[in-house]
Amino acid sequence: MTSPGDAAPVKPPPSFSPGVARVPSKSRYPDESESVHSIDPELADARSGSSPTPPLSATTAELPIRTSSPHARSVRSSTPQLARSSLGSPFDGRFDGSEDIRSLVIRAFSPTIAIHASDDTDQLTVSGKVVIRDSVGSSRAWEDYGVRFVDLKGFGRAPAGRESGRESTLTQMEEILDQELDTRERLLGASIPSKDALGVPVASPLWKLLLRQILSANPAAPHETFCHPVASVIAISSRNTAPLEALRQLYAESSTGAKRLPDWVHQEYLRYYVLVHDEERDDITESTKLYDQMKRHFGLHCHLLRLRSSQCVVTDDDSVQVPTCEWLSPQEQLSGAGEAETLVDLGTDGIPYLFESDATAIRAFIRELVVQSVIPFMENRVAVWNDQIASRRRGISGRFMSVGRRFMTFGAGARGSGTGAAGGSGNYDPTNNNYSPDTPEAILRKMADFSFMLRDWKLSASTYEMIQSDFKNDKAWGYHAGANEMCAVSMLLNPLAMSTKIKLENIDQMFENACYSYLTRCSDVPHALRSLTLAVELLKSRGGSATESAARWAMRVMDYGLVGPIGQILFTERVSACYASKIPVTGAKWGGRRRKAGMWSILAADQWLKAGKATLASACLEEAERLYGDVLEADGVFPMPEMQGFAENLRRAVKVEYLGARGFDTFDEPASEDPDTEETSERLEKIDKRNHRRSLIGLPAQLDAGTLNMTSGTRDPENPPNDDFERA
Amino acid sequence: MSYYFTILSPTDTPIFNIAFGTSKGGGDGIARFRFPDTAQYMNQFIIHSSLDIVEEAQWTNGGMYLKHVDTYPPAAAYISAFLTPSGARFLLLHQPPQLPSGNASLGSSSLLGASGSTTRTSSSSVAANPTSPQTEEAVRQFMNEIYESYVKSAMSPFYKQGMEIRSPVFRSKVTAAGKKWL
Repeated sequence: MTSPGDAAPVKPPPSFSPGVARVPSKSRYPDESESVHSIDPELADARSGSSPTPPLSATTAELPIRTSSPHARSVRSSTPQLARSSLGSPFDGRFDGSEDIRSLVIRAFSPTIAIHASDDTDQLTVSGKVVIRDSVGSSRAWEDYGVRFVDLKGFGRAPAGRESGRESTLTQMEEILDQELDTRERLLGASIPSKDALGVPVASPLWKLLLRQILSANPAAPHETFCHPVASVIAISSRNTAPLEALRQLYAESSTGAKRLPDWVHQEYLRYYVLVHDEERDDITESTKLYDQMKRHFGLHCHLLRLRSSQCVVTDDDSVQVPTCEWLSPQEQLSGAGEAETLVDLGTDGIPYLFESDATAIRAFIRELVVQSVIPFMENRVAVWNDQIASRRRGISGRFMSVGRRFMTFGAGARGSGTGAAGGSGNYDPTNNNYSPDTPEAILRKMADFSFMLRDWKLSASTYEMIQSDFKNDKAWGYHAGANEMCAVSMLLNPLAMSTKIKLENIDQMFENACYSYLTRCSDVPHALRSLTLAVELLKSRGGSATESAARWAMRVMDYGLVGPIGQILFTERVSACYASKIPVTGAKWGGRRRKAGMWSILAADQWLKAGKATLASACLEEAERLYGDVLEADGVFPMPEMQGFAENLRRAVKVEYLGARGFDTFDEPASEDPDTEETSERLEKIDKRNHRRSLIGLPAQLDAGTLNMTSGTRDPENPPNDDFERA
Repeated sequence: MSYYFTILSPTDTPIFNIAFGTSKGGGDGIARFRFPDTAQYMNQFIIHSSLDIVEEAQWTNGGMYLKHVDTYPPAAAYISAFLTPSGARFLLLHQPPQLPSGNASLGSSSLLGASGSTTRTSSSSVAANPTSPQTEEAVRQFMNEIYESYVKSAMSPFYKQGMEIRSPVFRSKVTAAGKKWL
């Protein structure tokens, strides 16, 4: 089943929770997928089988669900709060934030495991279906190692739906953000924005949401293998009358039959056999016997998973909520949301529950699967490919060969073979825009992806770099862009390397190539957006001068118009965050970028206000004030008159909207505002005697004819309008 | 090319502002920024934010003329800076004319919005490329000339350090220098 000889055996337990099958199992939707694991106690999630979603909806092939690792959880929990104004010290913000985001990015590229279950198992797993989540510490102490599960059946449908899906992805993203905003606003309705309720929120939850969307929005594509399955779980249940036959049949289906993956996916992946035992209806001794038999047949890649088949309800003592997947693609999220709403109408909460014992079993299963089978398998593959292909290419003779090959293909092209452009290796198929999975190029790319998933960034970076030029010669632009992008990403993730300026330039160059190839040559907006976003986040987490590049890339995203209006605002905020994370050299007053950060925050506030989100606008405004705090002479007073005017108007507008949204009578507002304004105006007077101010101050003063009027009245005579007549 | 020139006191308070356009290549000397009229404060925001860079550059660059120090990509605004011994800083924001097809993608951000109608074609080398050596040189000449006028104004017995410069003569000299070099 798997490739020659390699796989270290493991024993597999199947994971499905048996349920009653009332509805066609959901596993059939193309999208089902599952999650990633983390070690924490959460359980996996399955999407509940009964969901009404029509199978077609999914364009995306993968449904990556990743379960939440501990990090993720905390993220999630903070979401409900509006904690976006991070009040934390810059220091905290910078470090925590970047770690968090870094792990998010890393987890986004984790191995995919396909699930392929026999029909009866499918039925068993109705309600708590598949599962998943878990965590595994990979052998190297990565606590948050994650895997994602995908339903094999759905895999590969995506390409068909891709054209149409593509355009909509961005719209969908936008829609989700919108919904999220609405919800959040409803939640906050009464409460005061929790600026500090949670301590130091690091990056705004909305931004994280967007980031996750961006990272999970991409359907499986030929030019990168992250979404291609690394392993496939083949499951049968203890009710099956001819278990071994069934397994064999499933295997055949997956390799040659209807469930075969598209041609561009490498067919050699790990198969893992799972026997699901129904604790409530079947005899354990039978199952054990069967399991022994399986072990004999299939070696160690087997597992016995014991689950209960009755439906778990909230009221059961040991029920555990099925966690939702952290990595739903935008579509799934939308359909999921729709689903939840319908259920709410019916009086259920729509959240599937699992028995705790099942959850534990599933966790153990996934852990075993990952630690004993998947990771060794991947390591093994990387070693083999590295040996057989990469090292050959790297050596002198390899280099020579590739040059020679290039000349030779000139001849081949002349012979009219028709494949490959002149100068290309001929392995690239320009009609389908892909390499067949057996070609050295495709295997090297896969090897690089594997080593990336195993977090060997040095190896992956050097491999990407090596194949990148091959792709360029072949004019395989999608691959070229992908290799450039991932090369830069793995260099940035590698904690040891870097920090010299030259390298930074290389990285900028690579992102530049990637986004040019994606956008101009492939018109692949989601990927371009993903690579630019990764550039922003990873450069930002590098700190130092890299943060300026990060800000530049974020501006580039806005410039290209890759995101919708809300996305634009979030990116604006992100630019601010990038600049804010550049801190001055110790002991020196200069070197920070506070003014820039402040400016972008103000711009973001203005845009939020225009978008009608006063709460968010006020958070941005606060952030801006905090940022400007260090650079301005007096609190909240800008030295430049027009800036000051703009900022004041903005503040006032935000306040009015904000209070209005909360149901306060707007007319009361001036009263509360007065002290402020007055104070401010006095300060202003001291600093700047120009008459600009007066008009601004005038506004509130009219509303409540108080002291303000008097102040401004008396002031006037002292400051006759400036007529430029001072002296010659 | 449109210009916004500011002199900032050591405490960042502006003591002189002027906006003008190029007079080269048939320009009429009127500034046409890419921001809508309601968003002219953006010039000040951009200049203010570039102080971060100016502060950094003044310790790493030996000259008084710091050349092109900062860029604000969304509006293609370039900032050049000149330091004076008294701590006042001359900042010049220059913005090349908008290319007809240029800015379409900025649409969603109203702050950065611009109108294509202001497009003017200017063939002079200064306008064409804000970071070219010719531009750097032209700006240097401009800055030096202003510096001279500034020193004279600042030496006036009626002028106190940090006061706004309201002299029409100074203003006209700046305008003339702009015409001459930019």
